[in-house]
Amino acid sequence: MNIHTSTAKVVKASLACLVLTVGLGLTACDEKDIMNPVPQTSLQGTFLFDTPERVLGQVNGMYAGLKVGNFFGGRFPMLSDIRGEEFINRLQNVFTGYDAWNHTINSGSNDALTTWSSAYATINLTNLVIDGLAAHPNVVDAATTAQYVGEAKFVRALCYFSLISFYGQPYVKNQGASPGVPLRMKGEASPANNNLARSTVAQVYAQIIKDLDDAEAALPLKYSSDLLNTTRAHRNTAIALKTRVYLNMGQFDKVVTEAKKVVSDATPYKAATGVAHQLQADINTVFTSSYTTTESIFSMPMTELDNISGQSSLGYEYNLNQEYNLNATGILGNAQWRTGDSRRTMLRASGTTMYLMKYRKANPYLDYVPVIRYSEVLLNYAEALARQSTPDLAKATAVLTAVHQRSDSGYTFPAATTSSATALTNAIWVERRIELLGEGFRSNDLLRNMLPIPSKGTAPSITSSQPEYIFPIPNAEISSNKEL
Amino acid sequence: MKKVVLLLFVCLCTLSVALAQTQKVSGKVTEGENSPLPGVTVLVKGTSQGMTTSADGTFTMECAPTSTLVFSFIGYSSQEVPVNGRSSISVKMGADTKQLADVVVVGYGTQTKEEFTGSAARVKGDAVKDLPVQSFDQGLAGKATGVSIGQPNGVLNNPPVIRIRGVNSISLSSYPLVVVDGVPINTGNVAGSSTVANNPLGDINPADIESIDVLKDAASTSIYGSRAAAGVILITTKSGKAGKPKVTYEGWAGVTRAVRLPKMLNAEQFMMIKNEAVLNSKILSGNANNASVASELFFPMYNADGSLVDTDWYKEVYQTGFSQNHSLSVSGGSESTKYYFSTNYSKQRGILKTNEFSRKAVRFNVDHKLTSWLTLTANANYNNTLNASPNTGSLEGNAFGLVGSARLAWLSAPNVPVYNPDGSYNLSTANTLGMGNNQVSSNFYNPVPMLDLNKYTSENDHILGTFAADFHPVKGLNYRISYGVDRLKIENVTFQSGVHGPGYPSGNATNTSIAANNWDFTNTLTYNLTVASKHSIGLLAGYDRQKFDNAAWGATRSNSADIFFNDFQGSYGTIIPANNALNERALVSVFGRFTYDYDKKYFLTVNFRRDGNSALGAGKKYGNFGGVSGGWSLAEENFYRNSSLAQVMTGLKLRASWGKIGNANLTNWYGSLSLYNSGLYGSAATWAFSQGGNPDLGWETGKQTNVGADIGLFNDRIQLDLTYYRNNVDGLILNVPQSPSKGIPNNAMLMNVGSMYNRGFEVGVTANVLESGKFSWNTNFNYTFNKNQVTALYGEGTEIVGTTSATAETSNITRVGYSVGSLYGAKTDGVNPENGQRIFINREGQRVQYNHAVPSGQSRWTYLDGSAAPAISVSDYQLLGNALPKFYGGFNNTFRYGNFDLGVNFTYSGGNYVMNGSKGTWRDQRFWNNTTEVLDRWTTPGQKTDIPRVVYGDLLSNGSSFPISENVEKADYIRLQTASLGYRVPVQLFGAKSGISSVRVYTQVFNAFLITKYSGTDPDISSNGNSNLTPGVDKNSIPQGRTFTFGVNVGF
Repeated sequence: MNIHTSTAKVVKASLACLVLTVGLGLTACDEKDIMNPVPQTSLQGTFLFDTPERVLGQVNGMYAGLKVGNFFGGRFPMLSDIRGEEFINRLQNVFTGYDAWNHTINSGSNDALTTWSSAYATINLTNLVIDGLAAHPNVVDAATTAQYVGEAKFVRALCYFSLISFYGQPYVKNQGASPGVPLRMKGEASPANNNLARSTVAQVYAQIIKDLDDAEAALPLKYSSDLLNTTRAHRNTAIALKTRVYLNMGQFDKVVTEAKKVVSDATPYKAATGVAHQLQADINTVFTSSYTTTESIFSMPMTELDNISGQSSLGYEYNLNQEYNLNATGILGNAQWRTGDSRRTMLRASGTTMYLMKYRKANPYLDYVPVIRYSEVLLNYAEALARQSTPDLAKATAVLTAVHQRSDSGYTFPAATTSSATALTNAIWVERRIELLGEGFRSNDLLRNMLPIPSKGTAPSITSSQPEYIFPIPNAEISSNKEL
Repeated sequence: MKKVVLLLFVCLCTLSVALAQTQKVSGKVTEGENSPLPGVTVLVKGTSQGMTTSADGTFTMECAPTSTLVFSFIGYSSQEVPVNGRSSISVKMGADTKQLADVVVVGYGTQTKEEFTGSAARVKGDAVKDLPVQSFDQGLAGKATGVSIGQPNGVLNNPPVIRIRGVNSISLSSYPLVVVDGVPINTGNVAGSSTVANNPLGDINPADIESIDVLKDAASTSIYGSRAAAGVILITTKSGKAGKPKVTYEGWAGVTRAVRLPKMLNAEQFMMIKNEAVLNSKILSGNANNASVASELFFPMYNADGSLVDTDWYKEVYQTGFSQNHSLSVSGGSESTKYYFSTNYSKQRGILKTNEFSRKAVRFNVDHKLTSWLTLTANANYNNTLNASPNTGSLEGNAFGLVGSARLAWLSAPNVPVYNPDGSYNLSTANTLGMGNNQVSSNFYNPVPMLDLNKYTSENDHILGTFAADFHPVKGLNYRISYGVDRLKIENVTFQSGVHGPGYPSGNATNTSIAANNWDFTNTLTYNLTVASKHSIGLLAGYDRQKFDNAAWGATRSNSADIFFNDFQGSYGTIIPANNALNERALVSVFGRFTYDYDKKYFLTVNFRRDGNSALGAGKKYGNFGGVSGGWSLAEENFYRNSSLAQVMTGLKLRASWGKIGNANLTNWYGSLSLYNSGLYGSAATWAFSQGGNPDLGWETGKQTNVGADIGLFNDRIQLDLTYYRNNVDGLILNVPQSPSKGIPNNAMLMNVGSMYNRGFEVGVTANVLESGKFSWNTNFNYTFNKNQVTALYGEGTEIVGTTSATAETSNITRVGYSVGSLYGAKTDGVNPENGQRIFINREGQRVQYNHAVPSGQSRWTYLDGSAAPAISVSDYQLLGNALPKFYGGFNNTFRYGNFDLGVNFTYSGGNYVMNGSKGTWRDQRFWNNTTEVLDRWTTPGQKTDIPRVVYGDLLSNGSSFPISENVEKADYIRLQTASLGYRVPVQLFGAKSGISSVRVYTQVFNAFLITKYSGTDPDISSNGNSNLTPGVDKNSIPQGRTFTFGVNVGF
């Protein structure tokens, strides 16, 4: 009995020890591993420059930043359009831009914040790429590095231009003396540097021009495919954007200089170097069958796996969900836009109400969103020709006509509209409203000329002296940036 | 061996004595309400002669007339009954109070109530088992001192808002740690579905719960270290007891209906109000004489029989939900093996059509004493739970959705039908509700086809199990090794029809599979010894490792090939990946506890835990936590016993504790890392900055002090529990706002900044008020006062703005000197009697009025003198009231008379305010329907009313587009949470052969009524769920239901 008991005790004791050891053994061996789990679906910053592919991924990431729903993916051009007079808000829904349409945006409004944040998030991506390439000089070769920096500067310029045209007073008001937006030129990844004062409008424009000049010098003439030529910046993309920027600054001579780099003297107008930009025979081609023709200088690509749906999608807003119909007293009834004009095939009637269906592919929403189109460059060029210090009305008329006749070949501009710079400028502005309808130009076209925003439906008109003329800087910035 | 021989010997001796003079005695042993108790040992005192009672509790034996019978049974106090020559003896056994002496389950062990010096509340499983709830936590309201439970809406299986002694964090979860049979489990809404609520605690059958212990102070919770900041809820499930097998059946069935829905305008009133608004708009915008501006936009529709179309959308969306619940358990065991087996079926339907909850569950607990030194315990719970729900608009983030049923039932026009005359749905060409003859469009869906055709479910397959071995090689020493698993597999199924709604025009289906795998491995060593009979010492040392692995994957298929397909598996043109995630987290800890008491008079407990949490920054993963508590049982002191006070105050124990605990319940398990995400730009792969990480991210630390007294009056007939506490939380983890111009993703980074405190006191009174004959009245009253105040944030003058529904609406503000998440919005000052315009007060304190329709060029915002004023914006917002209850508690009563029992349980809460945001919806002057309050709108100069003049399109004046103080209301309430009436059917009715030992039938009403001045549906509603930063917002949520049930409990 005694022997039995003591054996049992020994067994008990050793079993307990064994279990203890197993338990404690686990402690030492893999605690370090399980306490430092490595995310499997995201990359930690330290590994970003390990391979050239990851650097290219970051370059594409900047463009993807532009493409988010709140920015060029849909919301930004939509806000630009609905602030103007071409669209009537049907559903009074603040989530689909009612505030912007109605000019009741305040510093707490979603749209004021999301536009600002999306632009700056993309700016930070460009700065991180520029800083990162400098810190990791040997991952990609020098030429590729230069190109990537050029692309970053192009994207940064486009972001700052978007910001300054929404949140800054028009440049032409006082040659950019008004307060603009903070100029962030360094990548931010830490809690530091919340404070940064606003630069003036002129300073912001100067930075945009500098970035675009740098980009023009660094960007490739063209890429290996039509898709890349449309979705990444090449030299002509930078030049094309400069025509828009200088037009905003009222520096028409410079618009002409830049435009000449991408518009031939003779018809058919096309770019002689780089990607051979040219108008397509039918505008519908650009919006339905082929998104990557030479007319589309820069567009946001949409694929089944990467598209913008819902309340920031242009197809949802204008067509599927009918959030906005076209204003019967807007450009719709203008005599310059005749019934046979092929641009009217991108409209749809429902009863007596007209809807825009430039973006018609729904679920998924696969229509590319155009950012820069060759017809805009031509119209920028035509306007600058008409408004430069020594106007060239004939050339301006020819360029304007090229755009118009592409869609309505039988139309000729009445002599009265082409005989004076003012009349011609007005005709060009009308043409912009027809040609670029729904592509995000209208409010900027009003603001850059200090024109009042006309009333529409129940929304009042807004003059350039009213605070509602531009977007307010969002509260989130005001509360955390003490130097604003 | 020796014992047996001895027994035999004694037996023989007594037999010889007994032969001398015996008589026959028979009788019956019962318990409780006279239900027979089988298996009771009946022994003749001083002999080994004895037997056990039969199934009907009876016994018959021979014994000397002068002998004494000893009745004993595990779990009951033994009784000695002299025979005194009687031939019939009936005995009623009472529960052994000493054996069941109030035990408090503490972390990794138990303590008796007298030893326990911390602060805890205990709720018996019986208190929740018959409630018509989906998860036990919903049933805790008012039952535990210091614990506040809010039901945020009437959606089934929605996690309640639980706050133990207030909100103890700002950015991290304030949901307590829930430990089931030793394993901390997943909590919160785990669905990962924005539509369906799925509380994993609903996977535990409330009838399986033996007890719920809520640990509240640091000294008790610090053994759970970094996870204890919001308190700990310990669930102990039922286990078998030695004795004859016991079988119970518990079932109930009931109906639920929505309560306190506001009355909406009927078709006629709707057209009258809206056309008045249209005309007002025309006049005010200077178009009174402009024929091209409409004077009316709303026109009637008629049914085929000529009657006016007058749709009651409530009838289309709400229902009377029928529910049933059945549980069956078998338990029993011998001295060496005890078992408990149960099964449960529950099917509950909610107040909203298609809202359903069903649970099928089995549980098996076994406890086996293998040898004198080794005990094995195992318990396993498997269940399948299906949550189905339409989009209610009531879950966090959904308040402003176009699909929320609550809002659609409110705002849909009553003068249009649900169906067209041909039976098809009444829809517009733009995938919205058809507006009939009204000359306006709606941007909202017709709710009925969405209820009919869409499907949203979240289904759990959940295994909860523990296996443990206890080694006790020598007396007092125990080594326990335990492995627990909480493996939850969730399948979310979404189908959105192409006919109407968000799936328009081609339909889509999303399936997501989520695996939440959580295991916990624990080793503990305990040693208890008593030295010199008065020094009791207890030691605990342990090692605990827990790992969470979550993986989710899924896809969305769209462009249905045919309207026929209703499931993901059908034929579709497109498929894209959706809801993919992969996360892991580990916690590694060592801990210890030392307890000491001297002569059961002086008590001391010291806890320590060192925790490692993988979610924190590289150098900040480990932290040390602990607590110390002491108690003094004055009532045990001689000087006290001899004092006159002791005559009245029979029990008196003082206790105090202090401890330091942590909180790192980060929802983001990689929150300390800077991360880049990969995506697509068209078809090109991308890498982009997705999270700004803070490598210095560490714990939040709470320092808690707790002082209290346990007082017993009149022989403990009245028991008082008084506690004062304070919890200072430092190093709050905040998602510190970054200037958006920096471009940091989400414009925020996690940092340890800020501090706050909760201070309060708790009073618990338990009394046996009356016991007279067949009548008795027991009551429990509990009251908690809590003050929350933020004392620092991330810098001078900083504040945190909280938004309802992502960024849709700024609704709360967290500011130094105030409680967390105070209500925030524009201050209003009624309606101007002169012109019926809403008056706002701007940041300068000036009165500004709003007129939605003005002639072109004029300002909508004017000062009262008519001059133009700047528009009211966020910069004019003010703090409008605290959103956290200052006091809350419960008042629970049980009355018994004979076989009848009546339970009346109240809960109450108050001292806080609720933003009745739904009121903004009810009074919105777009094409939306309104409540009948709008009939009191301003119409004539000089009229005093709180409803402004109706102007078509006005979304501002009533707080629909941003919150206004007009809609802030006091939230004080008293709720009759449950009232139940039960009757114990005399079992004699069923006869002994039935085997039935007890039957109770009852009827119960849950959420019977609410006494409150709150004009919304329910002041408990929280549109932002458990969010700390945005409490007290009631926006577009469905109300609560009231449930009547009938139930029966049968014991065999």
